[in-house]
Amino acid sequence: MKLFEYQAKEVFAKAGLTVPRGEVVTDAEGASKAAATLGFPCVLKSQVLRGGRGKAGLIRLAGDAQGAFEIAERLFASPYGVCKILVEEAVDIAKEIYLSVTVDAASSKALLLACAEGGVEIEELARTAPGKIIREYIDLDEGFSPFHARNLACGLGVEGELSKKFAAAVESLYKVFRSQDAELAEINPLFITKTGDLIAGDGKLSIDDNSMFRHVEWEPGRDYFESELDFEASKEGIPYLQFDGDISLMCAGAGLTTTVYDLIVDAGGTVANYLEFGGPNYRKSLRAMELCVRNRPKVILIVTFGTIARADIMAKGIVEAIETLKPACPIVVCIRGTGEDEAAETLRAAGLDPLSDTEEAVGRAVALSRADAYASPRRGAGASAKGRGGAA
Amino acid sequence: MSIFIDRNTRVIVQGVTGGEGSFWTRHMIEIGTKVVAGVTPGKEGLVVAADAHSAIPGFQGLSVYHTVRRAVAAHPADAAMLFVPPRFTKDAVYEALDAGIRKIVTIADGIPLHEAMQIRAAARSCGARVIGGNTSGVISPGQAMMGMFPYWIERVYKPGRVGVMTRSGSLTNEVTSMIVSGGFGVSSLIGVGGDPVPGTRFAELLPEFQADPDTDAVVIIGELGGTMEEEVADALASGFFTKPLVAFIGGRHAPAGKRMGHAGAIVSGGRGSALDKIAALRDAGALVAEKPRLVGECLRQAIASRNLESF
Repeated sequence: MKLFEYQAKEVFAKAGLTVPRGEVVTDAEGASKAAATLGFPCVLKSQVLRGGRGKAGLIRLAGDAQGAFEIAERLFASPYGVCKILVEEAVDIAKEIYLSVTVDAASSKALLLACAEGGVEIEELARTAPGKIIREYIDLDEGFSPFHARNLACGLGVEGELSKKFAAAVESLYKVFRSQDAELAEINPLFITKTGDLIAGDGKLSIDDNSMFRHVEWEPGRDYFESELDFEASKEGIPYLQFDGDISLMCAGAGLTTTVYDLIVDAGGTVANYLEFGGPNYRKSLRAMELCVRNRPKVILIVTFGTIARADIMAKGIVEAIETLKPACPIVVCIRGTGEDEAAETLRAAGLDPLSDTEEAVGRAVALSRADAYASPRRGAGASAKGRGGAA
Repeated sequence: MSIFIDRNTRVIVQGVTGGEGSFWTRHMIEIGTKVVAGVTPGKEGLVVAADAHSAIPGFQGLSVYHTVRRAVAAHPADAAMLFVPPRFTKDAVYEALDAGIRKIVTIADGIPLHEAMQIRAAARSCGARVIGGNTSGVISPGQAMMGMFPYWIERVYKPGRVGVMTRSGSLTNEVTSMIVSGGFGVSSLIGVGGDPVPGTRFAELLPEFQADPDTDAVVIIGELGGTMEEEVADALASGFFTKPLVAFIGGRHAPAGKRMGHAGAIVSGGRGSALDKIAALRDAGALVAEKPRLVGECLRQAIASRNLESF
């Protein structure tokens, strides 16, 4: 789970990092008041989870209260779903550096990354100038030791009094990483001020989803998601991604769903949504299909090849879901794995035409999504349930 | 032969009395795995799976013990199968390591990330191998399995001479069925799992497949995210793995910025897209199947070209 900048900075501040003075506001009136308190110039930072906020014009400098009001009005009205703005003092910057803690899977250690050129995206830097990134690894059981920070400071050319402050910042960020079960704790840029202080200019904190039971303080609300359906799927624990194409995917397994997505694109089709209802979710057919139906897809494509997720139980769930929701579009089913014979029987009894080959199922779904399938449902070739498949 | 597990591997099961544990332990026994004892804290004295058909002569069920240490004292074992919830997995792995077990499989889906890192670090520090989590496990078809595979579906789990390594569950059934329909069978299938920090990585299993006389070729089932496939490419390029290698990589069309597939995609220095992986593997001499259906054909080509070279 990704946190908003203002939340990350709250966590950073509690861990002893310095962040700019600031205030979170939810309307333009609040923005101008906060700006007046903080002094000018000040920075208005839209709290959205997307990257590239600067380029998108979501971070603006205000010179007076009226300006802050007008900028805030425009930001709240932008198409990016801005619900909160962080109004911050402008910092007198001498230099910007990059600092983060993340996970290195191969060594199974925490990986500290630092770079003397802050503000740039680290992925971009890794591609263009990998030599400029300084790395330091920490074994979780051994923990942080000051030499880790000294190695980074030397690499960055940070010396004297500043190197002590830098070491403290590194230790604090590592503490955040550990205590929050983070995938990533990042400060980019980390400002070095003209008076020789270190201030976190931005804050990214991404918490491991598998550790959320230890971090109930972070309940993801609607504003964490791009769409209502993304939000509802997340509450159900159903992996879901919103697209705007024709075919709703209702598949089991991350790898298989991703592969079905590839095969659809290869076959010239488009995807309305990516949805996994396998593994622990295999009894959630109704909820999964409801999410699909609300996209008004031209076809719902169900592909599974399960082990724990039993095919017979999924088939029953799907038939019940169809009876309850009566989707207007055709449904292509390809359910295999544990209990597959019984599953096929259940689906046939409900008037569906169960397939056993993924590519055949994808081909059929793409054909149905392109042909004017609604006007002339092809019985036998199509796979609409009994008594439906008429005009949408 | 096979890798990791065969008819002779003696296995204890941690979490043997739970729903999944008892169901799949029975299947592990029925396929031929030498399961020797069970562990569930607080349940010592129980005997489970007494009516299962075991390869062990005179089998009368599995005795359940409070701790791994007590189980292995009575029943020497080589491997531990964990049907333990994700939050308790680190503890269960540490317990098995402490009792001297050096092969561990955990199916747990949802192990906290930092604990997964600690598990891998602990295993490496004592030369043990942990497979998983978030996997179906390990199977040598026709011989033994640790985990949860519908091995009775013959069009997927046919014994043969192709080694398989995978990050997925359902996709593995899909691709392996194509290996079988291509006329091949499986020597050993290792599900390293879909987590960002799996206990064992693809490339670490290559030496075992290389050394296994009953594995002629290896198929890897990968996907976008992480760098495990690139590490396999590095192993091929270095000449350290010499058997034919075929790969299928999911996520070729995954749009940038969307977290598709398993939770494997973390900063990896510009590496990690499916297309990067495919290019790296091809450059290193692997054959990459664009679709699952083509895996059998790729295997035939890879093996045929290797045979030509040997003349």
